[in-house]
Amino acid sequence: MIRVSQAVVRYPGASINALDGATFEALPGRLTAVVGPNGSGKSTAVRALIGQVALTGGSMRVGDTDVATADRRQLARTMSVVTQREEPAFPLSVRDYVMLGRYPHHGAWSALGPADAAAAEGAMQRTGALPLGDRRTDALSGGEWQRVRLARALAQGGEVLILDEPGTFLDMAHEMAAFELLDELAREGRTILLVSHQLNLVARFAAHIVVLHHGRVVAAGAPNDVMRGDVLEPVYEWPLVIARDPAVGAPFLVPLRRR
Amino acid sequence: MENEPALYSCPGHRRRARARTRCLLAVIAATSACGAPASDRHPESAPTAVRIVDDFGDTLRLAQPAAHVVSLNPVTTEAIFALGAGARLVGRSRWDSSPDAARQVPDLGDGLQPNIEAVLAARPDLVVLYAAAANRAAAAAFRRAGVQTLALRTDRVADLARVLHALGLALGDTTAAASVADSVQRSLDAVRAMPRRTRPVSVFWHAWDAPVITIGAGSYLDELVVAAGARNVFGDMAQPSPQVTLESVVQRNPDYVLAGPRAARRLRADARWQAVPAVRAGRILVVDTSLVGRPGVRMGEAARALRLLIDSAAGVRP
Amino acid sequence: MTRARWSLLFVALALAGVAGLTLGPVRIGLGGVLRALAGAGDIQTVGIVRDLRLARVVLAVITGAGLGMSGAALQGTLRNALAEPYLLGVSGGAAVGAVLAVVAGVSAPGALPLAAFAGAAGAVALVLLIARAARGRADPRVLLMAGVVVGAFANAAIMVLLAGAGEGTVRNALWWMMGSVSGADWRTIGWLSVYATAAGVALVAVARDVDLLALGEDAAAGLGVRVADATRRIFLLAALLAAITVAGAGLVGFVGLVVPALARALGARRAREVLLASAVVGAALVVGADVVARTVRAPAELPLGAVTAIVGVPFFLMRLRRTA
Repeated sequence: MIRVSQAVVRYPGASINALDGATFEALPGRLTAVVGPNGSGKSTAVRALIGQVALTGGSMRVGDTDVATADRRQLARTMSVVTQREEPAFPLSVRDYVMLGRYPHHGAWSALGPADAAAAEGAMQRTGALPLGDRRTDALSGGEWQRVRLARALAQGGEVLILDEPGTFLDMAHEMAAFELLDELAREGRTILLVSHQLNLVARFAAHIVVLHHGRVVAAGAPNDVMRGDVLEPVYEWPLVIARDPAVGAPFLVPLRRR
Repeated sequence: MENEPALYSCPGHRRRARARTRCLLAVIAATSACGAPASDRHPESAPTAVRIVDDFGDTLRLAQPAAHVVSLNPVTTEAIFALGAGARLVGRSRWDSSPDAARQVPDLGDGLQPNIEAVLAARPDLVVLYAAAANRAAAAAFRRAGVQTLALRTDRVADLARVLHALGLALGDTTAAASVADSVQRSLDAVRAMPRRTRPVSVFWHAWDAPVITIGAGSYLDELVVAAGARNVFGDMAQPSPQVTLESVVQRNPDYVLAGPRAARRLRADARWQAVPAVRAGRILVVDTSLVGRPGVRMGEAARALRLLIDSAAGVRP
Repeated sequence: MTRARWSLLFVALALAGVAGLTLGPVRIGLGGVLRALAGAGDIQTVGIVRDLRLARVVLAVITGAGLGMSGAALQGTLRNALAEPYLLGVSGGAAVGAVLAVVAGVSAPGALPLAAFAGAAGAVALVLLIARAARGRADPRVLLMAGVVVGAFANAAIMVLLAGAGEGTVRNALWWMMGSVSGADWRTIGWLSVYATAAGVALVAVARDVDLLALGEDAAAGLGVRVADATRRIFLLAALLAAITVAGAGLVGFVGLVVPALARALGARRAREVLLASAVVGAALVVGADVVARTVRAPAELPLGAVTAIVGVPFFLMRLRRTA
């Protein structure tokens, strides 16, 4: 599980805090989504979890490990991250790329072995990337690349999975397929933390939604509790209406025109 | 590259050579003409306009002999002193250290791309420059400021005669110029006339060793070696300072290696150079680089010193 | 990379080495070369083969392998196929050290490589200082810009040094800078190879980081890399390797740029493979280039940097066309 408490992050040279005392939790077995407008601190939270930016206050824990003092390689064995954009500078075969996910399990001199190959194969199978095994990473479509990246994250083998805008560049079919997979993975006991702009999809799949605004958590709870006009309108600063979809009854958000 | 069969001692040839160089300069002096023998301008006669075309192709016009001269070239500075006009020098380049009296002349900086202002501050009426492309802008600048310039190439043995003649005209003393040129020629010829060795001696001239640089046929030093009666093992290369492989030095197997004192010590200590038989056998001759550096009025002396150096090593009595 | 390709690489290196040992103005047959290597035969031949040709081949191997590995590591870390070891300011610093030694007339054997190495080390320290002052100690872009700044400063320093020098000194300094393995003597090769091997082994040890950094900083962080430390470490190792090559052979351009691309073209994929393949390709390339440099216009020797550029430019144009 992930526990963020009173996290404060200020980028060097900035006048305000990017994260300003944020507190939230992502529990195992369910999909937790972090939402909020641009600049609310969502990506900062992810970067702080992977150690790319230091916490100026508060703490973040993954399981029992404090992120600030953790050995990063060890942390990578329990936590995988799929960032928003990723473009390898030099093309690899998909199989080699997925195998990179096994590196946290090895020291500098130990080589990848059959156990790693099996883990990679299994991950590729899960995400439907197996037929892409011999293709090159620079020759994949957006949807294929996403599946491959997810496979790499799964191959890392941890119980925590963090995804930053996984639906970017995906069409409806691929996006739905991705969310369904995440839902499955969550049900198997993993902790899944999702940062997303797609409020409606999040409302369908996430069990717990955390709303960030100016670096603070302004609402957290089940979709029905969070997806409300009085909660979201001041956050997004745009007139909107919450309705229920006719198919499954999940709350969905309709932004209204101003002009 | 001028390819005159180098001036071996032969009086008639000497006269023809001097006349030829005069024609090349296209001097219009009051009474001179191509083919006329020795200089006939008296320094005491009424000054007539002198017109000289220098090695940049610029035309120099002097109504009277130059009285305040800046010389930015060790060769011309030395030559001016040899012509007895050292007192007229108001400036020299930092590299001009010969003769000793030259050190008393104010040092005005570099000879290549000189400090225009420093030179002008010395108020010369003539600036003598080395005719390198790098000095064209300076020559133009001096002319714009109203100071005459004389750009002369001083690269090869054959250049000196022309240089001395031009300086003689500019300083109003062609007699002295002819006499100095003559004596330099005679001293060179004397060295050339020294008995040929029964077995010719070959030399390798060490200029630098990181990487290995030597002198080729395009260099004055090669002419010096030839004048001293030896053969430059790289004399078949046209460039003045080619970079060669150490192995080719080994292959050409020079009888002697000529090097400056510090270089000589370095070569003796370097394991790789032991592959050269001359180095292994200790046949390294130390050359006084300050004397032999450039084709100046002491050329003959330089050639003679080189010849004696080789002779004493080869065990031949002069 | 397939076994066949690796064999091909080693065969190429071996051939280049044989060419380097057997070709030269003094005719020595293959048998004579082998005997001389073993120490048998007349002193002169042994001297030529061991002290002249073999030393050059060994220095060429160190230079090529060092530059190849350095370039491969940098290209992965900087995520840029145009990254080159000389961008780090190393070459400028080394040149300043060497030119200072030439101008000062330093004459002790082995002094020039030492001075060059000291200059390179100074340049790297300066780059790290500048990067720290700009608060980007491990940001590759800041490190690169600091390298460019230090390089520009070094060029200015060299011009100042040479402006006041005699023409002989200028010529000597320029020839050194144009690159050559003719300065190979066993003592210098000794200490150069110690440092080169240490840096090379260290780079292979952190090859994983190069793989992961090539995915992007955030992705690498998610895979357990301490991005700031890893980037700085790789930069230092790459700079050290480049400094060693410049100290030994002057500026040999294009090798660090072209060799990793060649290694990838041969099929090397993961960073460890690319590093090792780059070492072999680089060694073969520089040994071959040296053979060309000293035979094409014998007895004159072409600058090594010119030959590698002549090989490098067409290859680069081909790659540009393919990616365009």
